[in-house]
Amino acid sequence: MRSIFKVKNLTLFALLAATVFTTACTSKKATDGENTLTMSVSSEIKSLDSIALGDLYTNRAGSQIYEPLYTYHYLKRPLELIPALADGMPVMSKDGLTATIKIKKGLLFHDNEAFKDGKGREVVAEDFIYAWKRLVDPRNGSDGYWIFEGKIKGLNEWRDKVTKGEADYKTPIEGFTAIDSHTLQIKMIKPYYQLVYVLAMPYTAPTAIEAIDKYGKEYANNPVGTGPFMMKSWIRGNRLEMVRNPNWREELYPSEGTPEDQAKGFLADAGKKLPFVDKLVILEIVEDQTRWLNFMKGQIDFAGIPKDNYDTAIKDGKLSEEMTSKNIKLDIVEEPDLTYTAFNMEDPILGKNRYLRLAMGHAIDTETMIDKFYNRRAISAQSPIAPGIDGYDPNYVNPNKKFDLEKAKEYMKLAGYPDGKGLPEIEYSNTSSATSRQFVELFTQHMATIGIKIKVVTTSWPQFTEKLRKKKAQLWGIAWSGDYPDAQNFFQLLHSSSISPGPNAANYNSPEFDKLYDKALGMPPGPARTKVYLQMRDLAVKDAPWIFNTHRTTYTLDHEWVHNFKIPPISHDFVKYIRIDTAKRAEKKKDL
Amino acid sequence: MFRYLVRRVLYLIPILFGITLITFLLFHVVGGNPAAQAAGKYGNEAQIRALEIEMGLDKPLHLQYVDYLRQIVTFDFGRSWSTHQEISTMIMNGMGPSLSLTLPAFLLIIIISVSIALLLAHYRGGMLDKAVLIICLAGMSVSSLVYILYMQYWLAYKAGIFPISGWDPSWTGRWEYVALPILIFIILSIGGNVLFYRTVFLDEVLQDYVRTARAKGLGTVRILFKHVLRNALIPIITLVVLEMPLLILGSLLLESFFDIPGLGGLIYSAIQNSDFPVVKAMTFIGAGLYMIFQLISDLLYAVVDPKVQLR
Amino acid sequence: MKPSRSLWQDAIRKIKRDKIALLSFFFIAAYFLIAVLCAAGILFPNHAAPDVANSFLPPSSDHWLGTDLFGRDVIARASHGTVTSLMVGLIGAGLSVLIGATLGAIAGFCGGVIDDLIVWFYSTIDTIPYILLLSALAFLLGSGLNTMCLAIGLTSWVGLCRLMRAEFMRHRDREYVQSAVALGAGPFRQIFLHILPNTLQIVLINFSLSFVGAVKSEVILTYLGLGVEVGTPSWGMMINDAKQELIRGVWWNLAAATIFMFILVLAFNLFNDALRSALDPKLKGKA
Repeated sequence: MRSIFKVKNLTLFALLAATVFTTACTSKKATDGENTLTMSVSSEIKSLDSIALGDLYTNRAGSQIYEPLYTYHYLKRPLELIPALADGMPVMSKDGLTATIKIKKGLLFHDNEAFKDGKGREVVAEDFIYAWKRLVDPRNGSDGYWIFEGKIKGLNEWRDKVTKGEADYKTPIEGFTAIDSHTLQIKMIKPYYQLVYVLAMPYTAPTAIEAIDKYGKEYANNPVGTGPFMMKSWIRGNRLEMVRNPNWREELYPSEGTPEDQAKGFLADAGKKLPFVDKLVILEIVEDQTRWLNFMKGQIDFAGIPKDNYDTAIKDGKLSEEMTSKNIKLDIVEEPDLTYTAFNMEDPILGKNRYLRLAMGHAIDTETMIDKFYNRRAISAQSPIAPGIDGYDPNYVNPNKKFDLEKAKEYMKLAGYPDGKGLPEIEYSNTSSATSRQFVELFTQHMATIGIKIKVVTTSWPQFTEKLRKKKAQLWGIAWSGDYPDAQNFFQLLHSSSISPGPNAANYNSPEFDKLYDKALGMPPGPARTKVYLQMRDLAVKDAPWIFNTHRTTYTLDHEWVHNFKIPPISHDFVKYIRIDTAKRAEKKKDL
Repeated sequence: MFRYLVRRVLYLIPILFGITLITFLLFHVVGGNPAAQAAGKYGNEAQIRALEIEMGLDKPLHLQYVDYLRQIVTFDFGRSWSTHQEISTMIMNGMGPSLSLTLPAFLLIIIISVSIALLLAHYRGGMLDKAVLIICLAGMSVSSLVYILYMQYWLAYKAGIFPISGWDPSWTGRWEYVALPILIFIILSIGGNVLFYRTVFLDEVLQDYVRTARAKGLGTVRILFKHVLRNALIPIITLVVLEMPLLILGSLLLESFFDIPGLGGLIYSAIQNSDFPVVKAMTFIGAGLYMIFQLISDLLYAVVDPKVQLR
Repeated sequence: MKPSRSLWQDAIRKIKRDKIALLSFFFIAAYFLIAVLCAAGILFPNHAAPDVANSFLPPSSDHWLGTDLFGRDVIARASHGTVTSLMVGLIGAGLSVLIGATLGAIAGFCGGVIDDLIVWFYSTIDTIPYILLLSALAFLLGSGLNTMCLAIGLTSWVGLCRLMRAEFMRHRDREYVQSAVALGAGPFRQIFLHILPNTLQIVLINFSLSFVGAVKSEVILTYLGLGVEVGTPSWGMMINDAKQELIRGVWWNLAAATIFMFILVLAFNLFNDALRSALDPKLKGKA
């Protein structure tokens, strides 16, 4: 069909197509030589306001911008606290109720339009107090206020008053005072040994009031911190770019570590000034396939291994051919992490029937779960105490956890529901994601073997937390990642003061447990306290408000041009230690 | 003409009201308590109640509806529950990327589909016609996810022709990222479009005037493009113009797999996060756009076909 | 003189002659048969029994399309998925057709204020983007099979409503209706006994189209997280899980769901085409 129109038609089409597709063929090579680290997160970063750094990925992004008083030594294990913005460890009073902390001199906020002449000013003690007030102000809806709740003098009263409009930020809180411009004093109601840990969380980073005044609600998109990186641009839900902070304080790469660090090359940069990279790009990629393909092509410098890509990456616990041929390295970290299935202890069926809960605990085949869903990158959890924490005993076996169908059926009889007869359907609250759906399907199958019918109700995450808050859920699965290496962080999830709308969504209420908890809270770390922790553990095991599932291990792959990659458990401010061999990347990426 | 226009616009007003009413009721009932959302995971009753007062949620329903109407008129859709950005800003930011994907794809689809359909109208009934029919139907019966997954894997990852995902806000840089999604979009939509245009053209081609023209000795090409196409313009315009608002909404799946920060991705996250202010705003905008384009379509219709009477 | 054939008899004759149409009809019937057999527990009764040791086995003589994550035979799962899809199709499309036809009939027949109200109502619903309305309803009603059918039914009736309204307006003043009125037929008789039978072909075609739309919507709804209950076999779930499975080389789950859905949709589309040609006298002679 030759015709004028047709030719015109075709040319138009060809032209359009050509423009679009030829620009595609010229993939940008310019950035390969740049001193940039590119990483990706698998869910959206919610906000860059320091008081909103709750979930893992938001925390990871925010930790490069904000710095708290303390942090963890990058290389030493077990984890050791070192000062970040603080000048030395806190000085405690004899009765353990007052902590005096000095702040380093000459610390500067990021340059930002909020300041006079756009230059970041020096950080003073008041900036910390202002930040902490914002954190606990109920009107800000922060999920992190619990770190101070009920522990600091005058804090709870201030919270109440602020809600009623009877106080504001100028009203002083007795427990937070600035003795001088560089000295903070914290007064506690009772001894709080986890205070230093809490002061290592980015929730407690200093905030400049000028920035809040200028940006107001938009502060979440215009963060101003003191960290090694400053936000340059953020296409929400897509790409966050940060650049090196030229005014950052001086920090050097550590010269000590664990005995293996030397051999692994982690001490090669000892004594050098940080950070090494000039730019940090965080890509928010939700789809596993997209993230994985980008990593394999070298577009992302390091990444976790999605469950379905595991077999391509790891064979028999070691890196596969495909990985080693590309010189990709593996980093394994045991996080203080716990996944568990929780019962609503206020539920008439589940809460009052211990035998029923025990029956369910014995019907779960954790090994299969670990095999299919964690690729064996987890260990079966016996208690709420995770590896790496005081009181963790690798040899402890939870008597109520063993996969034993006979015992499960016996417990069902004791519970009054032989073979599940007479037991109404139990509702499992689930959130939507392909993996969690499969996971729950496995759970349902396990329960079916002892005659328990499970009805799965899937909702979005906000609807799920709403259900928990209203105590309307019966059974659900959830995980908790330790905020610091102290079992108290896990045990507080079972204390009656945390009952919904708090993190104790299981609504576990045991006066005996509470007593032990309060006792341990007032004890310094040591064998005496560990003994109390073990007592609490045994109580939790006996009462079974949760079925402890697993402690997960994180496997991260990084490319050969990434140096000093030893991600610590818990803390996220590791980007400053990483060095990229840009020449090598430019060279090797082409072959991927 | 003018009177028709005025009448049509007036007619839109009750519809607009209807939309605001429905979105308000729906999201009010469905959406959960905004104050509870704002109070955070561990907010207690007292805090939630305080926030309710601050957000005006303690007022009776009809007053809240009036508030809602006022917001719409001033284009203030409030803030997203999950990102706390101003929703109007989010929408403005998302339009560019979405249109960069859908507009070029749309134009290409029209050109390709129309050409193929004209071809088929000419060779109707033969092997080519049947073969193309089956291919189109077959293509349409495969889920979009399949196309996306496989093409991303083979063309972007394995062959390296396209980037795997991502976005560049600059005007020159974005085309490279949007190329593969455009290609997939075209493949996804071509089946349906070819079939539609084919039916339209067939309707025309079998008309008497075509036989007359051919008897008069006019060439096939001239008949097809000068006469058939022009007469078929009416249903084509209707379809094309009505599809335009959808362009702005972007493609949910493509934007999510290829990491393009458009409106489609915005809607998708909003649904996932129960972010009702965003879903509410997008619903209203989608509806509003559809109405505007319906009006345009009706007007063009009247312009193109003088036989159409404007009721 | 041969008795003249009614529209329906004529249509059936045409279809019987069209080989492709017959073939499609046969496939559609086969699907319904499979669904009924599966639901009755006769076909693949053990589709739900997990056998985790054998998860993700590739296709073999034992399992023609391999096994899924829990070791279950993929063909068995896909066959049971037919039940889900057909239910969604039947109930969803059925509901939509019921609402659309009823409202359209009332609007077209009654005219006046009632007509204006119904037109206002459907114009409003029509203007709201489908996906948003669907997900809002799904959130309201919760996820699951029943609510999915309800949501689909409540959002896709406008097309038929418009058509029916036009038809009823056309027929209302026709002679045959006028004669019925003269004989004392009330509105009820007029609508159901006289006009409706003459518009049934439109309803049928529309139902067929909505059916396909409903089956496809199931996949999208599942992607958005608003699909059937966990554990219920469904093509939408199988396709969605494939997102992660493909990269590890497990293609058979996706293949099964795609093939099953593909054949059904294709058969319906082809049959639809034939139905339309057979029932619409104006389209006589077109391919």
